[in-house]
Amino acid sequence: MAGGKDTSSRQPVGPLGRVYLLLVLAFLVGPFLPLLIQSLAFHWVWPDLLPSEWWFTARERARLPQGWDYVISPYSRVGEALLNTVTIGLATALLCLAICLPAARVLATQDFAGKRLVELYLALPLILPEAVIGIALSMVFIRLGLAGTHAGIVLVHLIPTIPYMLRMLIAGFRGLDREVEEQARVLGASNWQVTRLITLPLILPTAMAGALFAFLVSTNLFLLTFLMGQGKIVTLPTLLFSKLSGGALEPTAAGIALAAALPGVAVLLLLDRFAGPHVGTAAGQRA
Amino acid sequence: MIRLARALLVSTLLATTALAQPDTEASRFQADFLDGKLAWETVLETARAEGEVHFFYWGGGDNLNIWMDSVVAPALAELGVTLRANRITGTKDAVDLVLAETAAGKGIGEGSVDAIWLNGENFFTLKQQGQLFGSFAQALPNSVHFEWGQADPRSTLNLRDFGTTTEGMEVPWSGEQYVCVANRALMTLDQTPSDLAGLRAYLEANPGKFAYVKPPHYLGNTFVQQVLYAFNPDGTAASPFQASISELGAEELARLIEPGFAYLRELEPLLLGGPQGATRYPEDGAAADGLFRNSEIHLTCGFGLYAVATKRANGSYPDTAEEIIFPAGSMIKNKSYLAIPANAPNPAAALVLANYMSSVDAQVTRLELVGYPAGIDPWRLSPEDAARLEAAAPPHFGVTAAELDANIAPDTNASLVDVVEAVWLEYIERQSDDPFAAVVARAAAPALATQ
Amino acid sequence: MTRPAARSTARTGEPWQVAASLVPIGGVLGLMLGGAVLLAVAQSLGFAPWYGINSFPDPSYLAGLWGSKGFWVSVGLTLYYSLAATLLALLLALTTATLLVRSFPGRAVFGALYRLPLVVPYGVGIALAVIMMGNGGLVSRAFAAIGWIDDPSEFPRLLNTHAGWGVIAVYVWKQLPFMVVAIHAVMVGADREQAEAAVVLGASRWDVFRHVTLPQIAPGILSATLICFAFNMGAFEAPFILGGGYPDTLPVLAWRFFNDADYTMQLRGMAVVVSIAALTGALVLAYLAAYRAYERSIGRA
Repeated sequence: MAGGKDTSSRQPVGPLGRVYLLLVLAFLVGPFLPLLIQSLAFHWVWPDLLPSEWWFTARERARLPQGWDYVISPYSRVGEALLNTVTIGLATALLCLAICLPAARVLATQDFAGKRLVELYLALPLILPEAVIGIALSMVFIRLGLAGTHAGIVLVHLIPTIPYMLRMLIAGFRGLDREVEEQARVLGASNWQVTRLITLPLILPTAMAGALFAFLVSTNLFLLTFLMGQGKIVTLPTLLFSKLSGGALEPTAAGIALAAALPGVAVLLLLDRFAGPHVGTAAGQRA
Repeated sequence: MIRLARALLVSTLLATTALAQPDTEASRFQADFLDGKLAWETVLETARAEGEVHFFYWGGGDNLNIWMDSVVAPALAELGVTLRANRITGTKDAVDLVLAETAAGKGIGEGSVDAIWLNGENFFTLKQQGQLFGSFAQALPNSVHFEWGQADPRSTLNLRDFGTTTEGMEVPWSGEQYVCVANRALMTLDQTPSDLAGLRAYLEANPGKFAYVKPPHYLGNTFVQQVLYAFNPDGTAASPFQASISELGAEELARLIEPGFAYLRELEPLLLGGPQGATRYPEDGAAADGLFRNSEIHLTCGFGLYAVATKRANGSYPDTAEEIIFPAGSMIKNKSYLAIPANAPNPAAALVLANYMSSVDAQVTRLELVGYPAGIDPWRLSPEDAARLEAAAPPHFGVTAAELDANIAPDTNASLVDVVEAVWLEYIERQSDDPFAAVVARAAAPALATQ
Repeated sequence: MTRPAARSTARTGEPWQVAASLVPIGGVLGLMLGGAVLLAVAQSLGFAPWYGINSFPDPSYLAGLWGSKGFWVSVGLTLYYSLAATLLALLLALTTATLLVRSFPGRAVFGALYRLPLVVPYGVGIALAVIMMGNGGLVSRAFAAIGWIDDPSEFPRLLNTHAGWGVIAVYVWKQLPFMVVAIHAVMVGADREQAEAAVVLGASRWDVFRHVTLPQIAPGILSATLICFAFNMGAFEAPFILGGGYPDTLPVLAWRFFNDADYTMQLRGMAVVVSIAALTGALVLAYLAAYRAYERSIGRA
């Protein structure tokens, strides 16, 4: 890792710093514990620090599924939502990859008139709020018959994912050693062979990181999915939103929140395995 | 090559004509059914051919969802119809969808909504815009479970929905009463108010311990209606509010509702958050339940004749929750209905759904599992069925059924709902300083303009 | 790290090759994004024949909106939540990233866990805010257990107020890991020899940070804060569920208009939406301009 050549000269963190880091971690991750407890509680109210009755005892005398029984059952639609979220995420990631690869290659390696403008335009989704895109497009999609279809949602999910994918791929293409490609051409390979046998394999790690990121962005989108889905397509964010009210969290809502965190946790585990050093580049690139 | 092109052309033409057919078929079905030319067996066969029904209903209750998927879906599957249950957060969404699709040119048989669970101004909107299938209710085999005779006063809720005549365009599905629940651990029996003045006194002793759901949510609207009845300056409670806005006029309405709104304004600093300087209204029933559960409020109100029983059973309410008779004499009682839009894609299946929902089996199982009062009229049933219905009812806590029946009031006229809502938003939420009559006139203007 | 060498060998590509590569992406974004923007602007100016309204170009929707006091309060609220959250997240992220490049016990655990908020939907963060910060929530119960309060109403009201603690907390919770990842990535790539040389020459820690580290990590900071700020301006879920009600932030205001059955209200919603885009765009451009000025001041641009 560049810059980390001489870790011995980096001072270890002092006690104040350690306390700070502990507080930060507690803030970021700590609240998941009460969420888990709430999902397992039957009756947990102010001022109890632990549930006064747990789900385990209550479910035996209950007529209808309670708590996690309900969340896991088909009645909660969590299974359907999870399936929709993952399939839409995968489709978005793959489609995004397909259309960003050629564009990223061109933007990373070639110059042309108006390039700056194109780059600016392609970064526009990062600046335009989802509300603008979603509300304006929903009418069009209804007329086109795309509203409430998986295809329509995948299409609209492309908009926020393209900038991230592009930035990672551009960084990846810029980091490629062009000489290998040149040598292959010198040795008589056609452009298509060069692309297929050399460029694509070399860009694969970055592409996977980009796909993971696009999948991540897609699985977390709410407003676009809600507006385009017209209630027919339920994903984890839309299901969770309908359960959240500003006052308190019921046990089943807590369970659904935890279920909604699943795709993200999966991505986190995969991110570390496949894409480690690349993730920062998406966020760290100059605007 | 030419043969291929011709084959393509022919098949395209056939396909497009095939697509065009359902419109005329659906129109013919609608006309025939409403004229009474179709036997119920034909309807069942057509429903089986259609294969599915898209039912839009409020999906905020877990128990209702379970009942829908575990009881209704299999029952309809036996009749050859797949239930596509669309859970929505607000009935208005389904109504808006129907209107939007009609505006987009989707005519009879081309929409995407088959049936909606609704009442009040949602039904009024669809009826006013002519977006309903027609008078189907009395043509259903299970319509015998309802009292349709105009002479019998018990037929009111079957014939009128928030004052709008139903004309059979919607069939009753569920009954309800607006009941307030007290936490006996925090509010003892002798502290319990029985009218709104008593509530204010209680809140002066215990500031910040009550909140009602915020209009425009229907739970908030209903609470406000009850306040208006109680503070009616003529003392005639709900009667004048049965007239429509065009019959009443903005001035008369302003005169009738001013004392009620004055009370609501005075009450505001005593509500949740008031003592801390910023009154906060819960956005929906679940939020209000949460506040009640955490002892932030001592009293909560909402539609739920059997709510205490069902919510004690699923942990939503503490074991010390009890129903109270409040406000005395005007606990709004109404019915909610199933309506079929004009552009329903599967009208026969929708009719089959409506018929099943009006069956004794459906009503009894729903009462048992979900705790929603029946929409069918018990005196129209056989003795065995009536006994089944009564046995299925969950218990009451702190009150008796007779007491609840003795303190009922009707909803206002449907056209007044939006006006009262708008007045609340401007007068209470936005703290408008304009003269009250002007606020009401502004609120009533859109409704009066469409008359 | 970007390699300047690749840039200098950039060829001016054949026009058709460039076009072919850009057509898919251009098509998708052009049609949907461009289409959305055009439609929004058109509707905000009164062009909506499918609703039976065609008074284009009609400035009354925008004028009426910008002339109402409530709109500017909403603008203020939106700006306040976005700026406060972005700044707070930035400060915390800078501190965290600075510490993260060093060693400490449990670093692996920290590294594995701290990105969790980054990968889950905002709804989960909102659920956590409700469960922790509400008057019936856990912090309130902890206070009660200690004996500081004995009624939930005595706990300071954090959620559903215009001060927006709940909204800001959710934004910071979600964006702090994002900023740490971005800043940390450029920090580890930063040249440490300059920093060490400065220390040897007697510069204080603060001077080293300001004149050596900051210019090096500035691109990362710019990118991350820009993305977060722009997102916050248009965010809907958190202000809707945790906000203080009327007057709402701009996206919630647009939503309320858009949900009204009255069609003229929907056009007003479009006017709000166009205003959000314009405001965000203007602020982003201003931010970028300020950054360019900063780069010139440190002699880089």
